[in-house]
Order: sequence, then structure tokens, then C-alpha cells
Amino acid sequence: MPPPGGTPPPHPPPDGGWGWVVVGAAFISIGFSYAFPKAVTVFFKEIQLLFNTTYSEIAWISSTMLAVMYAGGPISSVLVNKYGSRPVVMVGGLLCCLGMVSASYSTNVVELYFTMGLICGLGLAFNLQPALTIIGKYFYKKRPVANGLAMAGSPVFLSTLAPFNQYLFNTYGWKGSFMILGGLLLNCCVAGSLMRPVEPKASTESKNKVGVRETDCSMKKRQKKLSVWEEINKYLDFSLFKHRGFLIYLSGNVIMFLGFFAPVIFLAPYAKDKGIDEYSAAFLLSVMAFVDMFARPTVGLIANSKLIRPRIQYFFSFAVMFTGICHLLCALAEDYTSLVVYAVFFGLGFGSVSSVLFETLMDLVGAQRFSSAVGLVTVVECCPVLLGPPLAGKLVDETGQYKYMYLACGAIVVLASVWLLIGNAANYRLLAREKKKSIHTKESQETEPLKTSQSPSVNIKSGKNEEWKGAEVNSSERETNI
Amino acid sequence: MRALQGLRGPRAPSLPLLLLCFLAALRRSLEHGLSTAAPFKSLPVQEEMMTKYSNLSLESHNISVTAAPFTSLPVQEEMMTKSSNLSLESHSISMTAAPFTSLPVQEEMMTKSSNLSLESHSISMTAMPIKENNKGNQICVDRGIMLQRNVTLVEHSNMPVEKNITLERPSNVELICQFTPSGDLNSVNVTWKKGDKLLEGNYLVNATGGILYTQHRVAVINSKQMGSYSCFFGEKKQQRGTFNLKVPEINGQNKPLITYLGDSVVLMCKCQDCLPLNWTWYGGNGSVQVPIGVPVNDKYVISGKHANETRLKITQLSEDDQGTYLCHAIFELGESEGHVKLVVLSYLVPLKVFCAIAAEVVLLVAAILLFEMYTQKKKKPSDDGKEFEQGEQLKLDDSNGIENSGPRHRKNESVGQ
Repeated sequence: MPPPGGTPPPHPPPDGGWGWVVVGAAFISIGFSYAFPKAVTVFFKEIQLLFNTTYSEIAWISSTMLAVMYAGGPISSVLVNKYGSRPVVMVGGLLCCLGMVSASYSTNVVELYFTMGLICGLGLAFNLQPALTIIGKYFYKKRPVANGLAMAGSPVFLSTLAPFNQYLFNTYGWKGSFMILGGLLLNCCVAGSLMRPVEPKASTESKNKVGVRETDCSMKKRQKKLSVWEEINKYLDFSLFKHRGFLIYLSGNVIMFLGFFAPVIFLAPYAKDKGIDEYSAAFLLSVMAFVDMFARPTVGLIANSKLIRPRIQYFFSFAVMFTGICHLLCALAEDYTSLVVYAVFFGLGFGSVSSVLFETLMDLVGAQRFSSAVGLVTVVECCPVLLGPPLAGKLVDETGQYKYMYLACGAIVVLASVWLLIGNAANYRLLAREKKKSIHTKESQETEPLKTSQSPSVNIKSGKNEEWKGAEVNSSERETNI
Repeated sequence: MRALQGLRGPRAPSLPLLLLCFLAALRRSLEHGLSTAAPFKSLPVQEEMMTKYSNLSLESHNISVTAAPFTSLPVQEEMMTKSSNLSLESHSISMTAAPFTSLPVQEEMMTKSSNLSLESHSISMTAMPIKENNKGNQICVDRGIMLQRNVTLVEHSNMPVEKNITLERPSNVELICQFTPSGDLNSVNVTWKKGDKLLEGNYLVNATGGILYTQHRVAVINSKQMGSYSCFFGEKKQQRGTFNLKVPEINGQNKPLITYLGDSVVLMCKCQDCLPLNWTWYGGNGSVQVPIGVPVNDKYVISGKHANETRLKITQLSEDDQGTYLCHAIFELGESEGHVKLVVLSYLVPLKVFCAIAAEVVLLVAAILLFEMYTQKKKKPSDDGKEFEQGEQLKLDDSNGIENSGPRHRKNESVGQ
């Protein structure tokens, strides 16, 4: 599939230099996006008392925030496709601040749903997707490491925000805390300002001078062919739904997320149910977050190695399977020590999955289409992420035991991993076959006289993997052909 | 006559015990039967009064008691036994498995003032807890489970042994102390005290297998029976075990609540598994406790979803509303309170922090963007220069063949600089 028409050809990613600053900025954005909805639960007890509601009504604020963050993916993808990452992240920061400051003035729960849930959630969506997209633009060779480092923001921010929120609550009450948190979220604007757009304008101008004549004709030709469907695809690439790898990834992830978050949420109640005191139960979560923090960059490094990188989809499937087996074994846990061991292994599994979660998507669809892909993935994943915990809660209520919930979650996650494994194995094989076919067709085409000049992105008809691999193949082909 | 097994010494005569319970059971019949019984009024529970009225003589009695986990007798009971000299001429009382309940105050008054002569009768009491008489004439009050609390003391240990017992409603409490003396069992002196006051009589002492057990039963009816009861072993080196009878504690909020001017806030007090009779709130600035909600107004609203909690909602907060608020829970056996501290701040406090953070963000963003523009400007002139040179090179290359080398070299030099 050709890249969306009208965009200039992709430039080789810098893979370093300012890219590491961008990773730091993405660290901040991703950290706020994932950690913030979980960290605000500290304030819920007092808000529930003041607004005289049940706890579940208040807990929906967190769920709404998460839902809007995921559902707002396509909107932010469209904006990133049009304007680039930087303005979107800055607008996201401003929205979050606005949402939190207006939340501090709210007088009932519905207002909180609107301000915190909707506005702040949208702002966080405008932070998450662009941060992930810009990593793909800045890195190729070291992309798994960059992804791992950026995703490590989530546990770091969670373990920092939770006690910090408690301190704010003790010093300023919930109203003052919301105002101050709004100010803190403005720092996303700082992160956004660091996200410089990748194309340095001087080089594009010089290149354009040279190739302007050739590309003009081809661009004119392309513009004639644009239809309504392609116009829409310019903003949000719906053609991804025909992409085989994307569909495998999407379906596998939807199944996985059903059983992914519930074990985290129910870890503390499970421990308390076994007779462990409150502080030790909370400590389990800290252990998990701590292991997660270090697992993510480490796994990113491992995924970057020569051995793993070409088979990163298998690595992802194995990481998911590892997590699923952890859940299954947790059902056997009886005392505190075994629960701590489970927390450690779960932290490892959770970290490794999160670290390569978006890396694998980038690997499948390529950096150009990643921003649309991530938007579409998050909006579809919205459902299992939201449905998972309440369903698990219902299971616990029905059976009266947490054990069955862990078994169910483990089974679902293992199923997802098996599906991903099979699907990706098939995908790799088909890709290899298509590559061979394209080499044969290229060789047969070489005999005919070349018509137009070579535009850097040669259209491989069956090539679904629009990676720099494609360009490398081209260059190697050209070399061999010559 | 079969003495109580294991009874030691005359310290806890079983006579008054049995007599009381017997009298308790018989009260009704006595009321109907004896016309000579003096009208029962509430008498002050004091020993002296007792001695004034009673002139009963104890002569012979036949009492057999089997398996009787006695409950604690009220304090007043001992007063009666001290001074009464009942005459029980011939009667047989058999009590089988009767966990007795506490005797009400009124009962002893009856025994105090009546001039009973019990001549021949046989009474058998096999009943288990006797139910409360709904007519208000309380005989043996059974209010729920009889509580039993144990304390184990080891000789020569200096650690104070204490147990807290939480009571909400009138009930019977049996306090048992176990003591393992190193020396002779019989030489150990056992005493019970409530607070600092020595309790006499009516506690059982039992010695089996080298361990000394002592029991003391308290019928807790109102707040006067609450307090701390201690058992003492030994004369010189006294080992002590303490039971603290208390009403349930109320949990307020440990950390101060932060609120702002013009806001509303809800203060909550809660206790675990308790049902107070009533809740009241007091606000205090300093030492003066002012009850809240007495003149009912919009500012204060007291509510509570469940019986074990109370909520006070205060609207339109002002600086005067700062301070500690007390929530009183009234139980049958006493009162308990929790406190909640309220702090009222002005909106400027967090606003200042917010403005500081916003200023920092603006500064950083401006600095980053300026730095970026600066580095790009640096690149641009050099880039333009390079392009200019390239263009010139092309021109010169084009005109390579036409001009001779001399002027070209000069031109090159001038261009190169």
C-alpha cells in the first residue's frame, strides 16, 4: 500500500542525538497518561463523603478518564497526521490543566465526570499517541530501547504520584490538590515543546531543489487519483483494517486486555482476603511497580538485540504467555511469600509486555502509518480494558473466591498469546513468501527499460512490511541487479 | 450436703450466692405469696443501709451445686452478703448447670429489706439463663452472651498483664485470672480490686494441677460497673492482671480535614459494630463545648446512613468554623467520643502554588523554543552559505570551458571567502 498521498518521502530516522531528549519527553507524557487515572483514586474517599454517593459512582471517574483516553486515540491520530506531535501534546497539556482546575470547582459527581473524565481524559489522549508516534519517527535501529525507556514512565510516575497525591491531600485537601495537579499537568506542555519535528527544513529544501522536477510530475499524477476514501485515509488510515499483521495484533490484544488489568486491580483485595494486613498488601503492589520499572528498559534492550529483533513478534507472544502462566500459578499461592514471588514475576511479565506492546505495532505497520494504527488500536482496546475489571469483579462475587478469577484471567491471556504466536508465525511465513515473489517479479521487470527515475520508495505490491527493511531490500536488490 | 468441689476457704461462701439466685427465682412467688414483704423501692446501694434493714439469720441449709458456671455477682451483692444474716432453716436447693445471670440492683434491695424466714421448701433450679421479666421486675437479666475473659500470670514477671473488654449493652462478665506460683499454692493470697477499692467475697478460687484460678463475676448494668478490675496474687510481690471494661471507641478522623472558605464539608464519626443510643456533636473553640444543631439551622445538618455512624455537614465555611469537633455516642453503659479536626484555608494558598508551577512551565517552554530557534538560525546561515557556494560552483563549472584560468582563480578565491 502506498503511503498516504501528498506526504514527503520518509527520512532516515536520526537514531540518537536529540532523539534521547525526545525519549525523555515521551517518558513524561506516557507517565502522566497511564499513571494519572490510577493515582487520583487517593482523593475519592473524601469526595464520596462530600457528594454523598456510593464508591462505585466515584470509581467511574477513573474509568471514564481511562476510557476517554483510549477512545480519543483516533482524534489525536488525525491531529498528529496533520500537524505533527508537538502542537497536539501542548494542546493536550492545556486541556488536562483546564480539566483539573475546573474539577476543583465542581459541586457534584456529574460535573466531575465531565471535567475530570472527559476533558482531562481527552488531554491525556493527546499526550499518549503523539508521544508514541514521535519515537517511531526519531528511532529505527534503537527503537525497542527507546520504546522500553519511554514506557518505563508509567510505573515511575505511578509510584511517585501516589504518595505525592497523599501528601497534597493532607496539606491542601482535595480542592487545592486538584488545582495543583492541574498545574503539574501543564508540564506536559514542556514535554511537548521538546518534541521537535523530525524533518530539518534545510535538507528538505535542498533535496527538493534537486528532485523537484521529477517528483512534481509524479505528485501531480498522484493527486489526480485521490478519491474520497483516500482523502479520509490521509487523515486516518482505515486501510489498516486490510493489513494482515495489524488485524492479528488487534485481535490478539483485544483478547489479552480482557484479562490483563484485573489481576493488578484485585491483587491487594486478594491478599487481604488471605488474611494479610493492609500495609503488606499495598507493599505487593509496590514490589510489582518496582520490578516493572526496571523490567521495561531491560526488555527493551533485549528486544533490540540481533537475535530477538527480527523475531520480535514471537518475543511479544512469549511475554504474554509468561504473564498468563503467572496468573494461573497465582491461584496456587497460599501465603505471603508466594504472593511476593508472584508479584515479582508478574511485574516482570507486565513490564515486558508493556515495553514491546507498541514496538511490535510499529514493527508491523511501519512508522508512517503508526500514528493512525495506534489510534485505531486504542479505540478498539477501549472495550476490553473497561469491561475486564468489572467482569472479573462479578466473577469474584459469584464464586466467592479470587482463585477462579485468576485462573480465568490466566487462561484468557494464555489463549491470546497462543493466537498471537500462531498468527504471527503464519504472517512471517507469508511475508517471506511475498518477498521471494517480489524478488522474482523484480528480476523479470529488470529486463524492461526503466521508464521514470527511481523514487526512493519503490512500491512492492505484496509487501506489507513497510519497514526500512523495504528500503534495504531495494538497495540490496539494486546492488545485486547491477 | 456436698460442698462445692475444689472450693478453698471460706472466702467465697456459696451460701449467699445460692440464696440470691434462689431468691431471684422465687421473687415472683414471694411477691404474690408473702404479704409481709416490704414494698420494694429503690434503695441506695450502700452497705450501711443494708445493715440497717436486714436481720436475717442463717442457720442451716442444704445446698448442692453442680456444674454451675457462675456469672459475676454485682458489687452490691457482696455488700449484702457481708451484712446479712439470713436464716434458712430447711430447704434444699439444687442447681444444675445454671449459668446465672446478673442480679439486678433491685433484687438485693429486696433481700436487704425483707424479713424472710424460709422454713421448708424445696426449690430446684435447672433453668438456664432466666429471661427478663417484661413487666419491669427484673429478676435475672439475661442480656446476650456471657463474656468470659482470661488472663494468665506468670510469677516473677514484671510485665503488666492487661486486657481490654469492650461492652456496649448490659451483660455479665466473668473475669478469670490464672496464676502459676513457683512455691506453695496455698500460701498465695488472692485479692480482687476495682480501681483501688478492694472487692471482698464472691470470687471463686480454684487450684488444680499447680495452677491457681480465680474467677470474678461482674453483672454490668450501667456505667458504674465499668472500670478496671484487677486480680492480685501474693502479698509482697504482687502479680497483677487487669481487665479494663470500656464502652466502644469512636473513630473520628486522625488527620485534620483541609477545607476552604465558602465550601462545605462532611465530618464523619464511626464505630465498628456498635449501636449507640444517640449521637451528638459538639464544636469547640478552645475549652468551651457548644452543642451543634441545637437551634436547627441550614448551616449544620446531622445525618447518618447507618446506626454505627454519624455525619455532620457544614456549609458556608468561615474562619470561625476552624477547630476540633467532637462526636458523642451515648450507650447504656456510658459515653464515648471521637474528634475531628477542621482547618479552613483561603483559596490563595493553592493558587499561589499553581501560579508558581505555571510560571515555571511558561519559562521552560519559552527557553526550549528559543533555544531551538537559535540553533536553527545557526544552521540556516551556514546552510544558505553552503548552498550559495554550491550554486556558484555549478555556475563556475558551467562556465569552465569558456573563461581562462586566471580570472577564474581570482573569482574562486573571492567566492570562497
